[in-house]
Amino acid sequence: MAVTFDEASASVASSSSKLMAFVRKNGSIFLIYGLIILIAGTATIFSDTFRTPSNISNILRQSIILGLLAIGQSMVILTGGMDISIDMMARTVALVIATLFAMFNSDPGLILPLILLGVVVGVALGGVNGLLITRTHANPFIITFGVAFILRGVNLAISTTPIRGIPSEYLRIYDTKIGIIAVNVIVMAIIWFLVWLFTTRIRLGRALYAVGGSPRIARLSAIRVNRTLVWAYVLSGFFAALAGLFVLSRMGVGDPGTAEGMTFQSIVAVAVGGISLYGGRGSIVGTLGGVLLLTILSNVFNLMQVNIYYQQLLLGFVVLIAVAAYRSPRTVRSG
Amino acid sequence: MKSTSPKSSWFSSSLSSFRPTPRLVHIVDLAGQWAAPIMVCTVLIVAAIFAPVFYNPTNLRTVGIQFAVLGIVAVGQTLVLLVRSIDLSVSAVLALGAVIVVQTEAGSSLIVSLMQALAVAAAIGLINGFLITKRGVPPFVATFGMLVFIQGARLAYTKGQASGTVPVFLRMISIESVGFIPAALIVWLIVNIIFIFLLRKTRFGRWIYAVGGNPFASRYAGIPVDWVMIAAHTICSVLAILGGLVLSGYIGYVDLRLGADYNMNSIAAAIVGGTAFTGGSGNLFGTAAGVALLVLLLNLVVVLGLPIHWQFAMQGLVLVLATALQGFRQFLLSR
Repeated sequence: MAVTFDEASASVASSSSKLMAFVRKNGSIFLIYGLIILIAGTATIFSDTFRTPSNISNILRQSIILGLLAIGQSMVILTGGMDISIDMMARTVALVIATLFAMFNSDPGLILPLILLGVVVGVALGGVNGLLITRTHANPFIITFGVAFILRGVNLAISTTPIRGIPSEYLRIYDTKIGIIAVNVIVMAIIWFLVWLFTTRIRLGRALYAVGGSPRIARLSAIRVNRTLVWAYVLSGFFAALAGLFVLSRMGVGDPGTAEGMTFQSIVAVAVGGISLYGGRGSIVGTLGGVLLLTILSNVFNLMQVNIYYQQLLLGFVVLIAVAAYRSPRTVRSG
Repeated sequence: MKSTSPKSSWFSSSLSSFRPTPRLVHIVDLAGQWAAPIMVCTVLIVAAIFAPVFYNPTNLRTVGIQFAVLGIVAVGQTLVLLVRSIDLSVSAVLALGAVIVVQTEAGSSLIVSLMQALAVAAAIGLINGFLITKRGVPPFVATFGMLVFIQGARLAYTKGQASGTVPVFLRMISIESVGFIPAALIVWLIVNIIFIFLLRKTRFGRWIYAVGGNPFASRYAGIPVDWVMIAAHTICSVLAILGGLVLSGYIGYVDLRLGADYNMNSIAAAIVGGTAFTGGSGNLFGTAAGVALLVLLLNLVVVLGLPIHWQFAMQGLVLVLATALQGFRQFLLSR
């Protein structure tokens, strides 16, 4: 697999070289932020509602759920896998925590322990995914697909109706604002920054890229491949748990429809953001772009009052074009 | 290949230092081959003891038709898996065929609408195949994108309403009885005879195994690898449409949720029956046993009066266990 080695060394070389190489290497990132500016710019000119500060801060707040899930998905996709169970993990966490709140008469003192418990549940589910995949050498896509179905059954067993009894203090996670900007938006910005640091500066973050590029070379470079893979799925579960907890505070009830369809959106956001679905290439900055693009698009669609069914069709169309425009490693090699 | 990691715990030990005994390899291999037939017999015996209602003729008939529909779809999925690909769009194609036939039945003759449905299916299969071979898109992504696109198109077309009456001809090929057996089973049998012959006795069949076993070697051996894959995808989509027609004939109407589970179940059936994700190994007898196992389990949930969400958990569990077993088996055999 000399090819992958070439790619790896090329990426090392270009990070220290000229502007053109930088632009070419990050072409997808420039493209996606260009698209965002284009769409947002057009919407700002033509729509009075879009340019209001409250709408803008609303978009940022709406992007948080997709953002958290897309970060988790990025970690897994960088290793060359995919996590289909991400929406069901978020839902399980939301429903379990809601049930516990209801059980203990929505005691506000329990908020912190229950948030911690939710995170533990997510991490544990992610760990199960990771261990199943690394221990049995099975296909990650299918394993997480199966786990998603199991969790769907479990979630239906927990409740099929919205669970009430979330303490009102918990809802502040969604509501608290400084001036016009919600606190959670600021926290989310910090999370994005930390994740960027993680994937660019921390050894484990770099190991995700190495494993995605070539597990064999990663192993020969003394990277613990299986441990790295398990970590990727644990991180995915962790961020899914955060997303579930956030949805809970947004809805105010334990919603059995939590995060429906979000797995697909998270994959789209990651792929549109330029992370290679073969693993090993791409940047978390691109994922942020993908998340913002999808959120802005949905906001614009809603402002234009596009029929929900046509929205589905448009989303499918965008995805199909993105897929058709996809560049395989093979074409990259020869070009 | 030796592991270079200095320390190794249970958590981190790379499996490359793991030395399986020949006996373990043998047992896992046998289990992978015979798991589905043995499980089917076990389930049948268990059903005889705990749920004699299962052997009620009406129920057997229902099981037979469900088995036939999933069986037809799973044949296509097996072909696609044999060439190292996967098709996640079968559920959408299946539902689309039913919609086309039911919608056009009012206006034009049955033959025309059937031809339309088959043509659309062939086109979808061709596009899937082209995206995967000529554009180098990973099969998961290409067919997943196709799934979303078709669902969007169907929603835009039907506005999400249940629709139409099913033509008499479809009712006939599905629920009419020939002697003792529902007609659907005969359709399934014909499909299986054709494809077992195709896989065992024709050059195309050998090509399919060769391409799945080693695409690079196949290319050097002069096999038109890309076209074999495209053909497999086209066949898969056409069989999915056929399954959809039989299913709509059985149900008698076409609604939004029609066939939603068939992705999951067709893949699970093929994998349970011993088809490898890594391509090139598996056969249609195994797939038939896998289909039987899944349909029996899903039916037993109903017959035993368990809550319906157990079906989700059951499907997921079967898929995860089968994938894990087959993944481990392939890993052992490839060493």
